[in-house]
Amino acid sequence: MSNPTNDLPQATEHRLEELEKGLFTSDLSVNEFLLIKEVGFHPVGFVMGSSIYHTGIQTRKWSQSQELTKLTEAMYNARELAMNRMEEEAAELGADGVVGVRLDVNYYEWGKDAAEFIAVGTAVKAEDGVSRLNQLGKPFTSDLSGQDFWTLYQTGYTPQGLVMGTCVYHIAHRGIGQTLGTAGQNIELPNFTQALYEARELAMTRMQDEATRLGASGIVGVRLEEKSHQWGSHTIEFLALGTAVTKTSEEITLIKPTTIISLDN
Amino acid sequence: MSDVSSASSFDLKAEVRRAIAFLDTAVTNSKSMTSDLSIDEELNLHSIGWEPVELVSGVSLFSIPFGCWNWGQGEIDAASTAHAHAFHNAIARIHHDAAQAGGHGVVGVHIERSIHPTHVEVSLVGTAVRPVGARAIEDVNVFVSDLSARDFTMLMVAGWEPLGLATGASFVFAPRRTMGAVLQQQSQNVELTNFTEAMYSAREAAMERMQQAALGMHGTGVVEVKVVEGPMRFATHAVGFVAIGTVVRLVKPLHQLIRPTMVVSLNDRIVAFDAQTLS
Amino acid sequence: MTSAPGDLPEAARRRLDQGAFSSGLSVSDFAACLEMGLEPVGLVQGFCAMQWGNYSMVGGIGRGSTPFGGSQGGYVENYQCPHGMISVEHRMFGQNYEQTWIEDSWREGFTNAYARMIEEAQALGAHGVVGVLDSESSFGEAGVIEFHARGTAVRVLDAPPPTQSPWSTYLAGQRLAKVFEAGYVPVSIVASVASIRVWSSCVTEYLMEGTTGMWSNSTGAVEIDQLVSAQSIARDVARSKVRAQLLGDALHGASLDVVTREFSKGDFEIQSHLSGNRVRRFKDVDPLDVPKPTVRLS
Repeated sequence: MSNPTNDLPQATEHRLEELEKGLFTSDLSVNEFLLIKEVGFHPVGFVMGSSIYHTGIQTRKWSQSQELTKLTEAMYNARELAMNRMEEEAAELGADGVVGVRLDVNYYEWGKDAAEFIAVGTAVKAEDGVSRLNQLGKPFTSDLSGQDFWTLYQTGYTPQGLVMGTCVYHIAHRGIGQTLGTAGQNIELPNFTQALYEARELAMTRMQDEATRLGASGIVGVRLEEKSHQWGSHTIEFLALGTAVTKTSEEITLIKPTTIISLDN
Repeated sequence: MSDVSSASSFDLKAEVRRAIAFLDTAVTNSKSMTSDLSIDEELNLHSIGWEPVELVSGVSLFSIPFGCWNWGQGEIDAASTAHAHAFHNAIARIHHDAAQAGGHGVVGVHIERSIHPTHVEVSLVGTAVRPVGARAIEDVNVFVSDLSARDFTMLMVAGWEPLGLATGASFVFAPRRTMGAVLQQQSQNVELTNFTEAMYSAREAAMERMQQAALGMHGTGVVEVKVVEGPMRFATHAVGFVAIGTVVRLVKPLHQLIRPTMVVSLNDRIVAFDAQTLS
Repeated sequence: MTSAPGDLPEAARRRLDQGAFSSGLSVSDFAACLEMGLEPVGLVQGFCAMQWGNYSMVGGIGRGSTPFGGSQGGYVENYQCPHGMISVEHRMFGQNYEQTWIEDSWREGFTNAYARMIEEAQALGAHGVVGVLDSESSFGEAGVIEFHARGTAVRVLDAPPPTQSPWSTYLAGQRLAKVFEAGYVPVSIVASVASIRVWSSCVTEYLMEGTTGMWSNSTGAVEIDQLVSAQSIARDVARSKVRAQLLGDALHGASLDVVTREFSKGDFEIQSHLSGNRVRRFKDVDPLDVPKPTVRLS
């Protein structure tokens, strides 16, 4: 099953071989483990991918707020590399998908202009043997918890892939107030507002584009994160993340939930 | 048990009065059980016919030779070995403690692990449990796990049993050429492959060692895997990766589905205030 | 309501005689008390200040040159130097020993504070004390530790007046209600402390410094026996002290804390603190069905 063109380190091969022999590992909690079994999936192995990427910028005082496209590309590529490696590990194991994906960033003191991007999750396989690979022929990925995964299946939808869009935006150094001659007043800054609006929209649109490529009908669990990484407060990365889903079952087996009033505190 | 939907005819006030009256009689009828489980956890255990037996612990301190943290290359074997030994010995001690007390396993283990320049310290505390009234068993068959009693209960109901804790650690140096030098030679927007390989490999090595330990216990799988990673406080050029998880095995022929119900809670968020602040 | 007996200070007597109601319970814990048929009757507390700081049993000069004799039946273990060389810096012996005088002082402080809290409860005609909080705090530089115990005194409604000393528990609220439902009745809080002093042997000290080779007698990584021993004993002693107070009852909801202090290089104290609720079974276990698993939508 090993793919000669993948770029996973040596250490990985051995670990994955052991998993293929039948031992499964998972970072799912016991509850999540029981719930994915309920919808007919079995954990295969804990998978991960990482990439240490150059993320430094020249600190210039740009007079205008703008997207720093080279950095946007860098952030995107770094996470893609990490995700791809994680997906490769899952593919090696013959998995149908990866659940509970977490994307983290590590900063090390000995690498000030670089950061490590890590993607981890638990690879799973459908117990009925029917392939659940997505439209691109790859294992699906999703950052849904075991609980959300179970709930999604009850609605007749299945995850296709974790989708993301990113935009690194720089906010002008010259005081906005000074630029507009309005220093000291309490007013809306239309240019400033517009700039941040645009940054978020760019991130969301890029995320939606990814979902379209997967042939998805929608995205669930969308969240928008804003990080300055190590660039100082004038440069922010806007990251939009979500799980693209598709309806696969005509019958919606939505069970009527029980309502409870708990008297516990 | 406090749900409106399951209101019973159980008279709590009468039970409390009966309990208090019992104190007047000087009889004590049980062997001293000690446990750090909460009452919810104990009730979970009782529902599958298990009971807590004794509070148990295990400790180990293992030395690391001087100078092993000086910036070198590749893996820091002495640290990885010390961690493995410290963990192994602490587990063996809590194992022994539990078997002596007549427990069949230990649940809810709190794991405290600290790495110092010259030694690794591991401390474990948990409650030994057993099927109600069961006789003591061999040391080797006692399981040790950081699963909560609730997780233990649900696993058993589904037909699985815990076998023990598996851990794997690897400590490495960041690659020798300082990153600053490397970055100066690279343009932006590029992966730093040497560094990636070093960290990735170390993480994989930790996971692999954990898997080895799990295989050694003849487990079917490992759940609740946690990977803790980061540079050493006292030596930031050295990075440690520790993976730990609970090894489980399917004991019934098939996994038993638990068939959960979906619920919608009608509680609003309760804002509680402390009466003390009024006096 | 009888007048406060014993050695309660004047201020306490006045406060309790007032009959005013104050309680340390949160609203939900208060509600749970009423559900159990327990009526809070007042906030009760006890204090005791103890002199602290007598840590030395043997003076610094004699230390390490002879094996230690022991301290009033407590644990003691000597570690002889394996190197066979005598010099001023190289210690002949290392020692682990139990500081029974520290343990006894702690016991006295805790017991007095607890007893005074119970006295206040008795003065109010309470059956028991719930939601107990106990703490120790040190005062300035003076080497004084103050023990403080407080809780909410409660009376059992529709029950005969108390004939015994009030029972006590750390628990309150729903957790206490479940304890009763599970078939346990609280008897009292119990706590104990074990204090083990470690004077490092030469081997231990070299291992802690990270030196290998000749002086530490090792070729690589080894277990630091002296410290492992001290840590294990500290826990064992705390547990057996608590067990001695249980008198056949069970210990529920225990909490074990271990703290290591270093006085100077190679000179440690390991203090382990175990506390919990002494409870007694008043009816057989009546297990519930396996709880129904649910997935919460909101």
